Amino acid sequence: MTLIATFLGIDSFREVSQAIVTGVINGAAYALLGISFALILGVTTRFHFAAAFTYTMCAYIAALIVNGTGIPLLPAAVIGVVCSIVIAVAIEGTVYQPLARGRSESLLPVFVASLGIVIAGENLIRLIWGNNTRVLGGFPQHTYSVGNVNFTSLDITLVAITVAITVSLTLLLDRTVLGQQIRAVRGNREMALAVGVNVRRIYLLVFAIATLIAGVAALFDGMKFAVTPDMGNQPIFYGFVVAFVAGVTRSPVRVALVGVLIGVVERLSTLWLSESTSALTVFGLLFLFLTMTSAPAGIRQLSGALSREPRVGAPGRARGHA
Amino acid sequence: MYWVDVLDQVLIFGILAMSLNLLLGYAGQVSVATAAFAAIGGYLSGYLASKHGFPTGWGIVLGILAGSLIGMLVSLPALLLSNEFVILLTLSVQTIILVIVTSVAALGGELGLVDLPSLHVTKDLVRPTDWLVPLIVLTAVVYGICAWIGESPFGRILRGIREDQLATQSLGKDVWLKKVVVFGVTSGIAALGGSLIVFYNGIASPGLFDFNVSILIVAMVVLGGRGNLLGSLLGAAIVTAAGPFFEKVIKLSPEKASLARLLAFGLLLIVVLLLRPQGLLDENWRPMKLVRRLRRPARATEEPASEEASAEEFAGEVATLYGVRHREEAQALVSVKNVSKSFGGIRAVDGLSFDLLEGRITGLIGPNGAGKTTVFNLLTGTLPLDAGTVLLRGQDITGWPIDRVARHGMVRSFQDVRLFPRLSLLDNVKMAVPGQRGEKLTDLLFTPWRVFRDAPRTERLARRQLEFVGLSEKAEVLAGDLPFGEQKLVALARILASEAEVLLLDEPASGIDAAWVDRMIDIITRLRDHGLTVCIVEHNLQVVERMADHIYFMEAGRISADGTMQDLVEDERLVEVYFGQP
Repeated sequence: MTLIATFLGIDSFREVSQAIVTGVINGAAYALLGISFALILGVTTRFHFAAAFTYTMCAYIAALIVNGTGIPLLPAAVIGVVCSIVIAVAIEGTVYQPLARGRSESLLPVFVASLGIVIAGENLIRLIWGNNTRVLGGFPQHTYSVGNVNFTSLDITLVAITVAITVSLTLLLDRTVLGQQIRAVRGNREMALAVGVNVRRIYLLVFAIATLIAGVAALFDGMKFAVTPDMGNQPIFYGFVVAFVAGVTRSPVRVALVGVLIGVVERLSTLWLSESTSALTVFGLLFLFLTMTSAPAGIRQLSGALSREPRVGAPGRARGHA
Repeated sequence: MYWVDVLDQVLIFGILAMSLNLLLGYAGQVSVATAAFAAIGGYLSGYLASKHGFPTGWGIVLGILAGSLIGMLVSLPALLLSNEFVILLTLSVQTIILVIVTSVAALGGELGLVDLPSLHVTKDLVRPTDWLVPLIVLTAVVYGICAWIGESPFGRILRGIREDQLATQSLGKDVWLKKVVVFGVTSGIAALGGSLIVFYNGIASPGLFDFNVSILIVAMVVLGGRGNLLGSLLGAAIVTAAGPFFEKVIKLSPEKASLARLLAFGLLLIVVLLLRPQGLLDENWRPMKLVRRLRRPARATEEPASEEASAEEFAGEVATLYGVRHREEAQALVSVKNVSKSFGGIRAVDGLSFDLLEGRITGLIGPNGAGKTTVFNLLTGTLPLDAGTVLLRGQDITGWPIDRVARHGMVRSFQDVRLFPRLSLLDNVKMAVPGQRGEKLTDLLFTPWRVFRDAPRTERLARRQLEFVGLSEKAEVLAGDLPFGEQKLVALARILASEAEVLLLDEPASGIDAAWVDRMIDIITRLRDHGLTVCIVEHNLQVVERMADHIYFMEAGRISADGTMQDLVEDERLVEVYFGQP
C-alpha cells in the first residue's frame, strides 16, 4: 500500500482520506448550488447568473445583522435568506418575465440582464458597505478528529442539511401537487398552460425555492470563510457546472451526487496540483466532458461538409444565369 | 492627455467588441471567452518580446494565428451545442486559460509580465498620444474587415445560422464550416486586441483578461446593438468612458468613480434590454440609410410600379427564369423506394414508394398523422431515414445532408414557413441564391473584387423572385413584420431563388386568406407549366384538386391509393378515413 502511495506521489493515505472528507464537505455546498441552478434552468430556462448577487446578499445581510445588532445567528440567517428570496423573486417578476414575454428565444437577453444585475449589485454593495471582508460568526465550532481526519461541527451540519434538502426537494417534486405542477412546467410549458397551471406563479415559486437552497450554501460559505462583495461569483460557476454535468432536468439526488463527486475530484487533484489550480481540474473536466460528448459529432458534420462532392446530376444549378 | 488615454482604451475595447459582435451579433454564438482569446494574443506576443527579444510586430501576428487556431479548436465541440452549453463551454475555456497564464511561472504568475518593450510603429509608442493614430487606423481596419465579412454573403449565412440554422441549411448552405471559420476569425481579432492591451499598458497580467472583462465585452455588444458594428464602438465608448466621466465630470473620488461606473453600467444594461431589446443601434440601422432618406424627397415623384404584371408578362418572366422545358412524356425525376422511419415504437413512414414525375404537380394527402411531413423530412435529409433509397434524377441521394440535397436541386418549404424574421425580405431571398461569390472566406480575402462584382447578380435574381410573388414593394421590410400569408409567399420566393428543379411544398396554402390562395395556386401552376417538378402536402383538398396532376393518398405511414382527385373521392373508404365517420 505504501508503495502504491509513493508511486502516486502521495505522502500517505491520511492525506487521501482527508482530501476525500474535505471533498465531500465542499461537494455538499456544490450540490446545493447545483440543485438550485438545475431547478431554475430546468423549469424556467432562465440563465440566472444573478444568483451570484442573491447568494452574496444572503450572507451579507446575515453578517450585517449579527455584527451590528444583538440578534443571534439563526434569526439573522433566516432574515438573510428571506431577503435574498425577495430579491430573486423581484428579479424574475420585474426583469426576466418582461424580457421573455413574446419571445421564442430569451436566453441571451435574460443572461445579459442577469450579468447586469451581478455587476450593478456587487458595486452597489461596495458603495454602500465598503470593500471590507466581514465575518459571519456565532456558530458553535468544534473540531473533531477521526483517525487523523479532521472536520468541524459546521461541516457536519452542512452535510446533514444538504442531505435533508435533497431529500425534501425530491419528496416535494415527486409527492406533492405543487411538485407535480413544477414537473409539468419543466416537461412541457405549453401543455402545462393548457391544463390550467399558472406558469408564472410556478416560475416565481421555483425562484423562491432555488434561492432558499443557494442561500443555505451562502450562509455556510460565509461562516466557514468570509463575507465579501464578490463571494457569489465563484460558487455560481460551480453551480452551473454541477447542474449541466448532472443534467438540468434530472432528480435532485443525481445532481447532489454529481456535486459531491466534483467536490471530491477537485480536492483529490490538490494532492498533485496547487490549491490555486483546483479550478483548472473542475473546468478542465467540464471542458473534456463537453468535448467528448459533442466534438465527435461536430467533426463528423464538418468532415461531411469538407468532403468533395461529386459534381453530377445537378442541371438545376446551371440554369437561371442566362 | 487624460482624454486621449480614454479614447485609446475605447478604441482597443472597440476592436474586441467588434470581434465579439461578429460572433455573437451575426452568428448568434454566445461566447464569454473573448478576454481569454485576448489573453492568448497578449501573453504570447508579450512573452516573445520580453523574454526572447522577438520583434513585437511579428509577436502580434503569431498571437493572432494562435488565437485563431485555438478558436477553431474550441468551435469543434461548439458546433452542435445549444446556446446555453456554448456559454458553459466558453466559460470553461475562459477559466482554463486564465488559470494557465496565472500559474505558469514563465508568464509571471499573479504579477504578470512586466518588462515589456514598447511597440514600434515608425517610432516607439510610449505616450497615449503616440498611440492615437495607429489605434484609429487599426480600429478602422478591423471595422472594415468585420463589416466586409458581416455584410457579405458569408455574413448573411451567419445571420441565417443565428435566425434559423435548419432553414439556412435547407436552402443549400453549409453552416458547419462557417461556424468554425467565424470562431477562428473572431478569436484572431480578439488576440490582436489582447496584444494591444498588453503593449498599451506595458504589462500582461491576469487581471487584464479575467472573466469580468469578457462580461464587459459581451455587455458592450448587447448594449450597442447586436449585429451593428458601429453599435459595438458606441458600447465600448459608453462602458470605457463612464469611469472617467464619473471621476472628472461628476468629481467622484477615483475609487468611488469606478464603483459608480459599474453600478450605472449594470443598471443601464438592464434598462436598455427592457426598453430597447435590440440595443442602442438597431441591427439594420446604417448611417448611409439616413443619408439616403434625407435625399429621397428630391425624387419622390417617381412613378409607382404597375399594379400587377399581365398574364403574358408573367409567363414570359417565368420562362426567362427557368427556360421552357415542357415535355409530353414525363419521366420520374424523384424516385422513393421502400423508405421507412420509426420514432420510438411508432412507424411514422412504413415502406413507402412513389415517384415524382418531371414537370408535374404531385399531391400528397391524408389524415393528420399520416406521415406526410415526415416524408418531406426524409426526402430532403432533414431527418435520417431508417431504410430505403431516394433517387434524384437517377442519383442516389439517400442519407445526404439537407444542404447537399438542396444544392443538387431539391428544396423544401416548411409548414411553419421558417423565414429569417430579423432579415429583410430581400435578404431572405438572397440567402437562397446558389453559387454566390463571397460565401466563402477565401473569396472575401483573396478575390474581393469578384465578390463585389457578383453582388448585383444576386440582388437581381432575388428581386426578380420577389417581384414574381408580388412583393417587390416590400423588399426592405423585415420578414418578421409581415402577415402570415405574405410570409408564405416569401418562403416560396426563397425556394424559387435556390433554382432547384424539385420543390417540396409543405402546406403552401394553409393559414392564408382566399385571395392569397388563388395567387399561390396561380404561381405554382405556372411554375409547373414551365418545367418545375412540384410535390405539395396540403390539407385543403380544393387547393390540391385545382393544382395536382396526380395524388397519393397516405394513411398510417403507407400509400393506400393514388390517382386523380376524382378517382380518390369516388372511394368511399378513403373519404371516411379522411373526414372521419359521418
